[in-house]
Amino acid sequence: MGCRMGVLVSIIGQMQTPQTPPVIELIDLKKRFGIGDAEHFALDGVNLVIQKGEFIAIMGPSGCGKTTLLNVIGLLDNSTDGDYSLDGYPVAALGPRRQARIRSRQIGFIFQSFNLIARLNVIENVALPLTYKGTPRLKRLKLASSMLRNFHLSEREYYMPYQLSGGQTQRVAIARALVNNPSIILADEPTGNLDSRSSHVIMEELSDLHKRGNTIIMVTHNPNLTSYASRVITMLDGRVATDTHVPITKPKLELLPHEEATAIPVYSRPVKTAKKTSGRKTRLTKKALRIARKSQA
Amino acid sequence: MRFLLLNHLENAHQSLKSNKMRSALTMLGVTIGVASITAILALSAGASKVVGDQIDALGGNIAVIRPGAPTVEPLTDIVHVNPHREFSVSTLTESDVALALATPHVAAAAPLMILNGTIKANSTAPFDSSIVATTPDLALISDLPLRAGDFLSATSPANAVVIGTQLSVNIFGTEESIGRMLSIRGMPFRVVGILKNTNNPINYNAVDFDNTAIVSLTNGKLLNQGIVQIQQINVRSDSVANLPGAIASIGTSLVTAHADERDFTVLTGDQISQPTSRLFYAIAGVTAAVAGISLLVGGIGIMNIMLVSVAERTREIGIRKALGANNADVTTQFLIESLAMGIGGGIAGYAIGYLIAFIISTFLTFDPVLNWQIAVVALALSAIMGTVFGLYPAIRASHKDPIESLRQFN
Repeated sequence: MGCRMGVLVSIIGQMQTPQTPPVIELIDLKKRFGIGDAEHFALDGVNLVIQKGEFIAIMGPSGCGKTTLLNVIGLLDNSTDGDYSLDGYPVAALGPRRQARIRSRQIGFIFQSFNLIARLNVIENVALPLTYKGTPRLKRLKLASSMLRNFHLSEREYYMPYQLSGGQTQRVAIARALVNNPSIILADEPTGNLDSRSSHVIMEELSDLHKRGNTIIMVTHNPNLTSYASRVITMLDGRVATDTHVPITKPKLELLPHEEATAIPVYSRPVKTAKKTSGRKTRLTKKALRIARKSQA
Repeated sequence: MRFLLLNHLENAHQSLKSNKMRSALTMLGVTIGVASITAILALSAGASKVVGDQIDALGGNIAVIRPGAPTVEPLTDIVHVNPHREFSVSTLTESDVALALATPHVAAAAPLMILNGTIKANSTAPFDSSIVATTPDLALISDLPLRAGDFLSATSPANAVVIGTQLSVNIFGTEESIGRMLSIRGMPFRVVGILKNTNNPINYNAVDFDNTAIVSLTNGKLLNQGIVQIQQINVRSDSVANLPGAIASIGTSLVTAHADERDFTVLTGDQISQPTSRLFYAIAGVTAAVAGISLLVGGIGIMNIMLVSVAERTREIGIRKALGANNADVTTQFLIESLAMGIGGGIAGYAIGYLIAFIISTFLTFDPVLNWQIAVVALALSAIMGTVFGLYPAIRASHKDPIESLRQFN
């Protein structure tokens, strides 16, 4: 039942005006970089309406403005021109303090390079967004812990980020993005630093979130991953080039056994965490050690 | 939002811990500055307390009459030394002593006439020995315990002298010198008493009694070409309650005797120690200001390290902003970090400062003072250092553009 909700909403959105305002409404959105001769519009009149529960994949060549669009939607950047309404409320003109508040409560970010804070352990990283909401410490850790359980990372709570594999790191990052119950999740090439296997694990997680009714906007280079999305937008030169609604039946892209063996990373960039771990002395906290010993026994 | 403060504290603790060496070195700058200021203040407070303690120990019924009109602006004494007044003739006379003694409720009054001259026996006394001419009453006012013999009295022989232990050692080579002869300005004297070592060179009589020869006022007059010059008259009332009345009566009778001119000052209690303590505080102020420079350097160290820290953690700032931190959150985070370094260094400096002060005081005649004022000064200075020098890096951190910050690799 729940898994079909997102599809229903998006289909309704196409046919008639929905009762609730769209989550995101962009009207003729422009973003200019540089001035004079160097003037360049990264976004050159983007019109976009995103309904609740959609899973959007934004594709396009490098420099077409995908990331800029995501940054503007995520209120990390302000548009130069045009209107941006989030949950029916114009937010672009708000002051930095109010924007930070919206980032804290309504938006969850997932990055290509994971962006966990290296000094903090897994559970503290996940709990981080809650601090800016003013949640007390104990409650913060409880929420983070239950969120990590959803991602089957309970045993890694007290690991440091460099002790995790790329896929695990990204799952932690997703847990962190979700801990505040944001209305939209923005993912900027979430699988860009992962091999194809981990990529599909992450995509399964995102697709799960989507089924639970979350709105996800994902920027990606990898056309294989668009099959998880309910709507694929391609951009070109700062504009929306194509906008396709995909009726997601069951976009399973399981790897066949022979494929698994020869799986080539989508991007040849080495996984950062692996490199770091080798050089550093392992600093396992007591709890992590205890867990490790238990699992060995 | 109050939970954030706690979180910032945890955060600062964590980030300082992750860079232990760097944090410790940065704190060391503040520690040295605060330590030197604390040591200076503690020692100077100790020094200025010495005289006050002596007055208190004497029971609070002591007054001191000094020549010269009372100064209106006490601090000018230090800033504006008036050489004419310093070397002017004393306005106190022998008859003033008699007047003071005749005043009701006055139990004792003793003049102090400090003379210049050579004290000689087996060897010549060093330059810093002093000669004091006074009356037997001095023993009743100032606490002058004897290790041997008697103090000057009405029945003492005419050429009697009481000497300090150190002086005895200096000129006779022994502490046991009762009955031996010495000469002051060529005049022969016989030792009738030796004072106990008090080790109190700083006192309200401005005489180091360990190193002094005390003769009678009559002999003092003879040693000074028959002229009496009194630098100070010490007065003791019969009780603490009667002291103010006694002072007032002495004041009126002296003014009458001095042709209606108030050319003397009567000091009691704290007033007696004030000139000494003021001098010490002035010296302490100047030295503390010099020590403050090292504190300033420590503060610059904090700023430097915070700027490095902000640059290193640009990406973290970007992440935090993306996760919902506003500018104020980022500012507070870094400010608390620098404040923690400042206060941490300050507390260590306060402790080390007292350690230094106590070590130094073993070579001095007074002890450092432990009081809350110095603790507050040390803590406030370090907190101010942490805040002032942490503010710019913190603001710089908060103004970083989140997108630029996230793009930075580290």
